[in-house]
Amino acid sequence: MAENGESSGPPRPSRGPAAAQGSAAAPAEPKIIKVTVKTPKEKEEFAVPENSSVQQFKEAISKRFKSQTDQLVLIFAGKILKDQDTLIQHGIHDGLTVHLVIKSQNRPQGQSTQPSNAAGTNATSASTPRSNSTPISTNSNPFGLGSLGGLAGLSSLGLSSTNFSELQSQMQQQLMASPEMMIQIMENPFVQSMLSNPDLMRQLIMANPQMQQLIQRNPEISHLLNNPDIMRQTLEIARNPAMMQEMMRNQDLALSNLESIPGGYNALRRMYTDIQEPMLNAAQEQFGGNPFASVGSSSSSGEGTQPSRTENRDPLPNPWAPPPATQSSATTSTTTSTGSGSGNSSSNATGNTVAAANYVASIFSTPGMQSLLQQITENPQLIQNMLSAPYMRSMMQSLSQNPDLAAQMQNPDTLSAMSNPRAMQALMQIQQGLQTLATEAPGLIPSFTPGVGAPGSTGSGGPTGPTVSSAAPSETTSPTSESGPNQQFIQQMVQALAGANAPQLPNPEVRFQQQLEQLNAMGFLNREANLQALIATGGDINAAIERLLGSQPS
Amino acid sequence: MAATTGSGVKVPQLEEGQKGVGDGTVSWGLEDDKDMTLTRWTGMIIGPPRTIYENRIYSLKIECGPKYPKAPPFVRFVTKINMNGINSSNGVVDPRAVSVPAKWQNSYSIKVVLQELRRRMMSKENMKLPQPPEGQCYSN
Repeated sequence: MAENGESSGPPRPSRGPAAAQGSAAAPAEPKIIKVTVKTPKEKEEFAVPENSSVQQFKEAISKRFKSQTDQLVLIFAGKILKDQDTLIQHGIHDGLTVHLVIKSQNRPQGQSTQPSNAAGTNATSASTPRSNSTPISTNSNPFGLGSLGGLAGLSSLGLSSTNFSELQSQMQQQLMASPEMMIQIMENPFVQSMLSNPDLMRQLIMANPQMQQLIQRNPEISHLLNNPDIMRQTLEIARNPAMMQEMMRNQDLALSNLESIPGGYNALRRMYTDIQEPMLNAAQEQFGGNPFASVGSSSSSGEGTQPSRTENRDPLPNPWAPPPATQSSATTSTTTSTGSGSGNSSSNATGNTVAAANYVASIFSTPGMQSLLQQITENPQLIQNMLSAPYMRSMMQSLSQNPDLAAQMQNPDTLSAMSNPRAMQALMQIQQGLQTLATEAPGLIPSFTPGVGAPGSTGSGGPTGPTVSSAAPSETTSPTSESGPNQQFIQQMVQALAGANAPQLPNPEVRFQQQLEQLNAMGFLNREANLQALIATGGDINAAIERLLGSQPS
Repeated sequence: MAATTGSGVKVPQLEEGQKGVGDGTVSWGLEDDKDMTLTRWTGMIIGPPRTIYENRIYSLKIECGPKYPKAPPFVRFVTKINMNGINSSNGVVDPRAVSVPAKWQNSYSIKVVLQELRRRMMSKENMKLPQPPEGQCYSN
């Protein structure tokens, strides 16, 4: 009986555990909850089983965020979630948000991956030069007692978890205090090998919060840093003081070359002030110097000599905002070389060139041009090539003679169109089409635009070019009033290009007959391609050959 | 009574803390989930980028007094930090020096406190102060 009673009893508790097991079996199909994981930059949703541990959660996260699990720190409701906890333990339910911090610095990991160095000091001082061979002994040499004492002092604070940028900044402070130490360090082959690794240096630089700030403000600098050639060059410069001087001299040369571009000099100076100053501040901490530092001083000294050449600009008709004196003086020198010599026309041309200068300056301020300029200044050869390209020259000419066009160019819309490479290509195609039309069917042209028709019909030599394009502005006023701004721009652009090339148009084949024969003899049998190449290069055989060779293998 | 009037504000705060706010850089929640009085909170501030606090996680303890939300809560850093307005030996946020506690309004909340502290991390005077090594806590 009692047994009966008892036997009836147990089934209930056994059912209890059975039921408990039933519910314990339920986790075999655990409830999946959706948890949002938010970093300062991103937000992702994760579906995980309710009872998973934080460790498992981190593994899922690490795949999505492409980091390692030990880089991840999860925070919920103000508490850091430890790996061995479970999500339920912290009360993370469906639909809630967990914050994520990804420790991006790999320096502490560099420390942890050098287990051979047991002591904290050794670990951090080894991670500093980032090399595996004999870190300790070479460290004591260049760094000297002062900084080693500093390092030792740091180690007493439990250095193994120190933020690397902190360590770095402290080291730098000590380094800056003693230039001899700097020199010693620079000459240490160790440090040089570290410096010669551009990736490493880039990481180091990026770790500096000021540089990060700088990069945010100026995407150019991130391009600069990401370009390994430039990095390598800069690092070599920093390593070698003699080379630094040479580099500075090169840059002075490049600058003086750029002076001849109307307005370019000024724009360049502005650009450098934007980039050079913050780089100076940031880079000073890194290398104790800035290869660009002298540029600022040289440009200012260059500036000092400019005003002496300034002409009196008052009587000039100048509807646009008057550019600074330096620009006009720079453009004056250009004008005398390009435009006609008489007094009136030179003053006119100066006014126009000034407008052209404005245009050029504003073009130069587009970001694309800025990066281009940067590369240019590092390679003066490039400038020469660019300047000597015939179409550039003709474009400058036509610009200087066509103030309307210059005004049009200043329109920001047109600037954006100009910087769009496809738009430029389209324009080039239009120009080429017009050229071919002008040769094949001159009668057809007047239907396009009266301005373009004029060069097609007259064109017999150089002198007609300027007169034609000066006739063009008067004609542009009529189509201008009719068509929209975009079409205006295109028409004027095309006229300028066509007008500039008009003298060559009527007899491209005749003019290039000689070159064509030469090309034929060399084996370039595609007459059309030859002709195009010759037109594009203005009759320069070598350049035409290069163009042809560039297009043939493709 | 005070607890209930206090909880009128705190429960929404609790939910907000759990759901995560705006830019994911501050987080807070009850220190003890079973705390019915909703007075003891833990908070977390993620150090803002481009400052010396960057990538660090600062843990705080927040205590809402009985008069909360009419009176500001006591805020104390658990993780060691070097910043103006914070007592360097015990991490207590000086209520007179930090503007949110100093000019407290009823509408303020824990979120506002944390965000204000984070904002101060980004101020020029604070963003470059040398910090103790990461992970150290105040002894009390």
